[in-house]
Amino acid sequence: MVNMIETKNLTKIYSDFTAVSNLNLNIKKGRIYGFLGPNGAGKSTTMKMFLGLTKPTSGSFQIDGMSYPNDRMRVLRKIGSFIESPAFYGNLSGEENLDIIRKILGLPKSSVSDSLKTVGLYEHRKRLAKKYSLGMKQRLGLAGALLGHPPILILDEPTNGLDPAGIHEIRTLIRSLPHKYDCTVLVSSHLLSEIELMADDIGILNHGRLLFEGTLSELKQYAKDSGLPIDNLEDTFLAMIEEDNLKRGSKR
Amino acid sequence: MNLLSLINIEFKKIKRSHIIWIIIIPIVILWIPAIINSNMNFEMQAEGISPENNFFIQSFIGLAWFMYPATLVISTVLLNQTERSNKGILKMLSLPVSPTLLCIAKFIVLLLLAAVQMVFMIIIYYPSAAIASQMNDYQLMISPLIILKETGLIYLSSIPMAAFFWMIATCIRTPVFSVGIGLASIVPSVLVMNTKLWYVYPMCYPFYMITALQGEMAANFDTFTIKLIPWIPIAIIITIICLIISCLFFGKAERR
Amino acid sequence: MSLLLEIKKLKRTGFFPAFLIGAILVACFPIINTAVRPENFINQNLPALDILMNANWQMIAMLNMFFLVIGSCIIYHTEFADHAMQKMEALPQSIGKLFINKTLILIGSIIFALIIEAASFIFCAYYWFNTDNSFLPDILKYFGYEFILLIPAALLIMIIASLCQNMWISLGIGVIGVFIATMLPTDNLILSFFPFAMPFQTLNNAIDNSWISPFLISSGIQTILFSIIEVCILKVRRNIA
Repeated sequence: MVNMIETKNLTKIYSDFTAVSNLNLNIKKGRIYGFLGPNGAGKSTTMKMFLGLTKPTSGSFQIDGMSYPNDRMRVLRKIGSFIESPAFYGNLSGEENLDIIRKILGLPKSSVSDSLKTVGLYEHRKRLAKKYSLGMKQRLGLAGALLGHPPILILDEPTNGLDPAGIHEIRTLIRSLPHKYDCTVLVSSHLLSEIELMADDIGILNHGRLLFEGTLSELKQYAKDSGLPIDNLEDTFLAMIEEDNLKRGSKR
Repeated sequence: MNLLSLINIEFKKIKRSHIIWIIIIPIVILWIPAIINSNMNFEMQAEGISPENNFFIQSFIGLAWFMYPATLVISTVLLNQTERSNKGILKMLSLPVSPTLLCIAKFIVLLLLAAVQMVFMIIIYYPSAAIASQMNDYQLMISPLIILKETGLIYLSSIPMAAFFWMIATCIRTPVFSVGIGLASIVPSVLVMNTKLWYVYPMCYPFYMITALQGEMAANFDTFTIKLIPWIPIAIIITIICLIISCLFFGKAERR
Repeated sequence: MSLLLEIKKLKRTGFFPAFLIGAILVACFPIINTAVRPENFINQNLPALDILMNANWQMIAMLNMFFLVIGSCIIYHTEFADHAMQKMEALPQSIGKLFINKTLILIGSIIFALIIEAASFIFCAYYWFNTDNSFLPDILKYFGYEFILLIPAALLIMIIASLCQNMWISLGIGVIGVFIATMLPTDNLILSFFPFAMPFQTLNNAIDNSWISPFLISSGIQTILFSIIEVCILKVRRNIA
């Protein structure tokens, strides 16, 4: 299977700490890749690098065979992104916010109402974005990412701040995307239970390092082999992080 | 994505941002006292300036020396704030647009907003002059040619200043400080204007233009001469440098 | 104790560095002004302090006013930006005291700026003018007078800043107020009582017109008046909320 996004020893060091270190990810085309890790593990930083919002300190990555900064425009045209919410113009309505993105992407007018309907925001489209509830802001961000059905979707904790019904709805939506639009999805979360229900492949990140990459069944196998609890996957995840933190502690 | 449609988008972004009030209110504040005190225009024998010229020039000096630069300062910062307050800029940077082009588009929007203020200044001059003429029973209106020429001159000479303020607003991220530095930089223009090196300080260009006209109109005033060399080349260089720096810094902190 | 707390709140807002750097830049102003064209000043047949005041005070006063406007905006912006004020109001403390402490910080900072500006005047006087020893007591008098005239403006701008949750509105009101003050004729006594215009008055101008006591009285009355207004605002707010 072809890799849509591939990283090679991707590293990002800020002046005071290492956010991402020697990351080797393989995100396959047409699949949902769940990016899992506790807060501050480096998920957002990695995603920001994919969007050219921050430069890797070392290492490299390719998106559909293209790389930054040479193919910046072509790469960004392929990606729909939802990162570090809320990102919008508060003085504009939801519809106007999307219309700005639509114009930049050069899409037809109908795409705005399409994507508003997809995320269930259509009836609130005329309301100012700053008056939106947290969940609605989240949906607005998602609508911006889905605009024009890009072949790659990068979603950073898209279900944050939604109510249980909303979480379920968005999860079902994301689940359906690869079939509907033939796209590749990279979605992050700090809850394994959530990734478990959405993703085909899983990458687990802790303190900037990749602890595991593979399918769900591979994860179960891995846990069994390394003697981690397997009856509840959330426990598996926590045990993995715990173990890694202990290792890091002893190294220091 | 061409520049024109980007500018169009930028205008859409400032919808409901109340920026238009920042442009109009200063003009109104400028003319109200001018009308109320219009009888003072008849006590200018010492300066040797006619009442109608004085009525026109006092308000335009107020505009060129402070109100207009201050409006520019606040507009630059507000334009940047619309991007930053809810991280709209992050979305922009992850879309296929060139940040440089975005920065230039925003600067052009700034210049267009400034032009709107100039047009308002002209529009409000006429009713103000008409009211003041009525009050004093004396024709205080002067030829539209002078008004148009002078407004145009103030506007054109303010472009380097606008570029400077734009640079400050993009480089200094705390809005209060970019406003503070911008406003503080206006104040010394009174002093710099009186030196031989006035052309190195873009903040005093519009003020210099209007003072030069005042010198022509008032018999007993020192005249300021406008020498195009080296002023124009230096003004162009300052503008270009400021714009390059602001394009380099635009969205830089978000791409850390 | 609570004053220290207010100072702590301004940590990393840039308030104190801004005042320090700003005051130093303002202080450079008379020095550069005199250095560039000493011949314009030293030959005037006036006391050194009067010459320096006449040449520089309008500009320094304007910058001082900007300090007050921007300072007050920063002080209250930290409260309103992330709704910290709501938390403050929910704590067992007096909001009036909060206002007093914040105003004290602003006034303290402007005293600091005035001291640095006075130091620059002293430098100019000794470097370019032949001054006798009466200069030092005089400069104390002059700057003390300016300080008293600044208090109503500081109070007023703090009241405005505390009322406007949106920093831009208080900033706009302040800037327009300062501008109006610069447009008012300084030789009209009644108009000069406008709180933002008083700091533009100099002691030598007041002596020439025997305006010293009117201005001092006006400053006192305005200070009391604005204090009463603030007390009323606090009462009304408590009743509405």
